[in-house]
Amino acid sequence: MTRFLLAASGVLVLAFLCLPALIVIPMSFSSANSLEFPPPGFSLRWYESFLGDPRWVAALKNSALIALVSSTIALLLGSLAAYGLVRGTFRGRALIEGVFIAPLVVPSVIIAVALYIFFARIGLLGSLPGLIIGHTVLGVPYVVLVMSVAIRSFDHRIEQVALSLGASTTTMFRRVLLPNMLPSVFAAWIFALIASFDEVIVTHFIAGPYDTVPKRMFNELVLQVNPTITAIATLLIALSVVAIGIVVLLLRRGGVKIQSLT
Amino acid sequence: MAMIRRMPAEFGYVLPLLLLMLALFILPIALMLARSVTQPEWTIEHYQDLIETSVYLRVLGRTLQIALITTVACALLGYPLAYWMRDLSPQRQVLAVALVVLPFWISILVRTYAWIVVLGNAGVVNRVLLDLGLVGAPVSFLYNELGVVIGTTNVLLPFLVLPLFAAMVRIDDRLMQAAESLGASRATVFRRVFFPLSLPALAAGSILVFILTFGFFITPAILGGGRVPMVANALDLLINQFARWETAAALSTVLLVVTLACFAMSRWIGARGATS
Amino acid sequence: MTSRRTILKATAFAAIPGGLALPGIARAQGQVREFRMVEAGGLSGDSIEAGYIRPFTARTGIRVIRENPNPLGKLRAMVESRSITAVLYELGSLSVAIANAANLIEPLDWTAINPEPMFEEAKLPHAFGYQYYSTIMAWRSDAKPLTSWADFWNVRDFPGKRTLPDNVTLAVPMALLADGVAPGALYPLDLRRAFRKLDQIKGSVSVWWAAGAQPPQLLKDNEVQYAASYSGRVAGQPGITISYAQGLLDLAYFVVPKGANPSEKAASMGLLHEMSVARNQAVAAEVIPYTGASPTLEALLPQARLGDFPTTSTNKAIQVLGNPEWWAQNRDAAERRWQEFKLGL
Repeated sequence: MTRFLLAASGVLVLAFLCLPALIVIPMSFSSANSLEFPPPGFSLRWYESFLGDPRWVAALKNSALIALVSSTIALLLGSLAAYGLVRGTFRGRALIEGVFIAPLVVPSVIIAVALYIFFARIGLLGSLPGLIIGHTVLGVPYVVLVMSVAIRSFDHRIEQVALSLGASTTTMFRRVLLPNMLPSVFAAWIFALIASFDEVIVTHFIAGPYDTVPKRMFNELVLQVNPTITAIATLLIALSVVAIGIVVLLLRRGGVKIQSLT
Repeated sequence: MAMIRRMPAEFGYVLPLLLLMLALFILPIALMLARSVTQPEWTIEHYQDLIETSVYLRVLGRTLQIALITTVACALLGYPLAYWMRDLSPQRQVLAVALVVLPFWISILVRTYAWIVVLGNAGVVNRVLLDLGLVGAPVSFLYNELGVVIGTTNVLLPFLVLPLFAAMVRIDDRLMQAAESLGASRATVFRRVFFPLSLPALAAGSILVFILTFGFFITPAILGGGRVPMVANALDLLINQFARWETAAALSTVLLVVTLACFAMSRWIGARGATS
Repeated sequence: MTSRRTILKATAFAAIPGGLALPGIARAQGQVREFRMVEAGGLSGDSIEAGYIRPFTARTGIRVIRENPNPLGKLRAMVESRSITAVLYELGSLSVAIANAANLIEPLDWTAINPEPMFEEAKLPHAFGYQYYSTIMAWRSDAKPLTSWADFWNVRDFPGKRTLPDNVTLAVPMALLADGVAPGALYPLDLRRAFRKLDQIKGSVSVWWAAGAQPPQLLKDNEVQYAASYSGRVAGQPGITISYAQGLLDLAYFVVPKGANPSEKAASMGLLHEMSVARNQAVAAEVIPYTGASPTLEALLPQARLGDFPTTSTNKAIQVLGNPEWWAQNRDAAERRWQEFKLGL
């Protein structure tokens, strides 16, 4: 009975999470000019309007590039720092952790102004490297938070065994720690990726002429509602479904199970 | 002594990120927030002003209240979900994780409009309720506090579920088996063994949700129908429309102190859970 | 690469005191090939591109790069960091008054702009009014028509839910007009009286809207029957009727940030000239139903839709212009009162 209740609540919560997607996907195939549900007719015009508009495509390219690069840097540096914070015994760890969490705590609009002035002084304003640095900083807290908890709950002795058996630190990281942390690593990375991909306030300030998807969307939604944005969301969902499908296939072929990894 | 010898190695892992953050984040932010005490000259007038007029502090209080409700809602919905996912087969786990992150691919702005379509007066849910004769007039899901909580919970739930699930799958089943073999009931095992082990991740996920609510911007403005003033909107106005940077810097500093205090508290709870 | 160069150039010029750039000096400093502007984005940005940048580039060969959006905070950051990356910056009328008081903008060179005839309020010493918009009454076509804000407030004779802007600078004048204050006697605004009037209607307001896209959506969804909306959002929409009566007419301006590169500034005056040309304004108005400041534009607009535009002689006469200077001085007190009001909702 408990088991059934648990399964029912799990499915219901998943449904709640996916409800917007269930609305957005059909609307992207709508023939209507505005966001209407249910759609009055079928059409691919919003996909044409997205793929046929070089500005949308350029915005998506920028967004993808910035999100991938910044989340990867944040993941690498953040995981390393989380490991040092958890395993280290040096003083001031709480303060340092505070520094890493700060981008989450300081309001975006304050970050936007502060980075604008700073980037203007060092010549990074309105440049791709500037955007990547800004987004990396914004992704760091997610990585540090998620990875600290994960590393803290991982048995320290297993690492020490690996090291005492002659593994180098790098090997230990790669062969022992990382496989054990995979679900957390994924969570940390995807949070940093989305933090970048959805960021709009800091981007408004420091992007200069660069467009990103949310920046364009924001203008469209505040100034005009246009179903093109639902087509983009649907394409992204399709892309993520394909990526997940590949993961599932790889898991099967490799014969690895998540539980044995964890 | 052993500790001191080990210090450099671990500090070395922290150092690259620490330098990056100090140079590219802490410095610019400190310069910005310092305006609350240095403009036009050394002064505490901006803080006095905040306290005396108090309205922005009350907006901050309202935001805290919404953040708390959202966090509780996320924890109540997220914990059972993560617990259920833990016992699924690996393939189903991947599928469930994919569904949890699915909403991420839809911009927050688009999701806000999706909720209008679902929960508005002319929305799907109300149409069904009216057709079934369950209600006589449309239910007001939106344009009030409930609308804000539904919208923010939907956006923030994955931030709680994913780290919690990742922590739960690492909890060793043998611990629970051992406890059961010693005669403890399932409920006791959950309460005394499993839950304390998952508490640090629950605390971390909750604080993430709590803090993220403060940054919420357009969603509360639209789904709350303007009835739920949030501090992020007030700050945007002060910075971007009124050019009152000093007031905004003072308000942000207060917000920063409050949030860091909440963060420290959650770490304390998490640490207590880990040691109990 | 371009961005980097522009930044370096701008920093180099930051040392040169701003002021009126004479065409002669501009030429001596070399030919400007391109400059940047910051505008609101969306359809409005597209209308600038189609109506003004296209003829300007065709005439001068100078490229104009658009950036958006245009928060006042970004302008202040630009001026304070002394890296004026954009020579033209779009601002609303209140922002112009605030920016001027805070010394963030420079006077324009009206001789160099050499404009075609313009409405007076659009020609400020330090700001060029390029686009009129209005906040007007709109309602579902099946609802009883309104003629004034007093009707809008009269929920007994005009039953139905309302939506009002979550914006004190719009809500307060509406409330005072509804309370019977004559349009000419609005300023200085009586805040106490306005909030008393707002208290009367708050029970009938379902939504205080934050984004311009909301009012038409709320009307279509039958969430509300009456709305105060930006004119461009509701004009010409099927199922929605509008009235410009007592509409709050306002203007978006272009300004030059303090310390802008003088030769770029000189070049940008040519773009402002294009914005004064009625023919160009008609092209822009095809993209977005907001209009430029030419008194002769009316003849060039699509005659069947004349009622949709804010500055036709009929519509302009029945609307009310604001007083941005009053707002710039009283914005803190008014906003705090507004936040109080909303906390009490």
